Amino acid sequence: MGETVTLTIDGRETQAKVGETLLQVARRMGAAIPTLCYHPAVSPYGACRLCLVEVKVRGRTRLVTSCCYPIREGLEAFTQSDRVLKARRGVMRLLLARAPESPELRKLAESMGITDPQLPSVTKGKRDCILCGLCVSVCNEVMGAAAISFSYRGVERVVTAPFEQSSPACLACGACAAVCPVGSVVLEYDGETVTVEPFGNRRPALRCRECGALIGGKGMGERVAQQLSGRLTQAVDLCAECKRKISAQAICQAGTAVVAWPALPEGVTER
Amino acid sequence: MSETMHADYLASIETIADRYGRNPDFLIPMMQDVQTAFGYLPRDALEGLADLLGIPPSQCFSVATFYKSFSLVPRGRHTITVCLGTVCYLKGGREIAETIERELEVKAGGTSRDGLFTYEPVNCLGACALAPVVVVDSEYYDHVKLRDLPRILKKYREADRKGQ
Repeated sequence: MGETVTLTIDGRETQAKVGETLLQVARRMGAAIPTLCYHPAVSPYGACRLCLVEVKVRGRTRLVTSCCYPIREGLEAFTQSDRVLKARRGVMRLLLARAPESPELRKLAESMGITDPQLPSVTKGKRDCILCGLCVSVCNEVMGAAAISFSYRGVERVVTAPFEQSSPACLACGACAAVCPVGSVVLEYDGETVTVEPFGNRRPALRCRECGALIGGKGMGERVAQQLSGRLTQAVDLCAECKRKISAQAICQAGTAVVAWPALPEGVTER
Repeated sequence: MSETMHADYLASIETIADRYGRNPDFLIPMMQDVQTAFGYLPRDALEGLADLLGIPPSQCFSVATFYKSFSLVPRGRHTITVCLGTVCYLKGGREIAETIERELEVKAGGTSRDGLFTYEPVNCLGACALAPVVVVDSEYYDHVKLRDLPRILKKYREADRKGQ
């Protein structure tokens, strides 16, 4: 690690560290490459195929997914060639066919010059899912819950909870909903329960202790409290707004952003 | 699921997992063994296995649904496979498949009511010279004619009756 290589992107030479991906370097240089399944928090997966670029290898060019293409010395890449743009539009049309109702996807399609989306009907179970795998990765790699996974195969492939029943491993943290690029994962609140749809994970809901707003699942609160230490854990059951309010009040009163959270329970020490 | 049954499950799953040193890399062979032991992959068994290996149950479910040879529902004691590849199809495979569906009152992937047969059409067995081919468990029947079917089914029905 730490070794530097020289490569050319869209005719401009640049330096990059070994281990970086073509997407990272190209974006740093300002290249416009659309992505759906890429997220810096999880390992690249190469599922959506939107980040296609052309690379030149021994005089021949070929299309590769830049999000998982490791750079190397002397690499030559083209991110806006006719072939690339045409391929990306083709990919986008296929994605649109899977998720025709997603406003996010249609907006991105429009920006790529696709204005004639054909809108087939999709089944409810697979509605607007492009199988990019972001929700699966974030649940597994970031939250450590692994409450959902890809299931079945081929045209039947779908993201589900194990055994297609509410998973006790789900924290109802909402990370899957937050990363979903086409808005197909949602948290639905019903009284004191929250359901992560379309996976059907029903969990007890967490309310902000100040204003009572619903802010995900109790499981998430407990997990965060486990991983944080000391007084920070006391902010777990606060919504973002109340957290800001309490911090602001502390600043006004004491002239410091350090919040005087209530005393720690007996036996709990600050790390 | 009763307590005693659960203890049985756990014991046999532990035996299977220990055979592979409880190494999650061997998840597929372990699941194959579980399927051999129970005839299918019971949910409790998969969850127990995931627990023993320290992997999420979602991973087991993912693998179980990906491979066609795994079944999450109980299967018949015998599996009848009918080849519907191009050659078998042309030489009467379709009629054989239809007859079996009618005779056993099953659809593709289904199990007969007596729990004896699971019927599975397959797209090609690679034995086109033997077309049309019917396979029961691991026994191949070649050049099968419609009139051979009752004899084939009877053989397994009788064997089953004797075994009981």
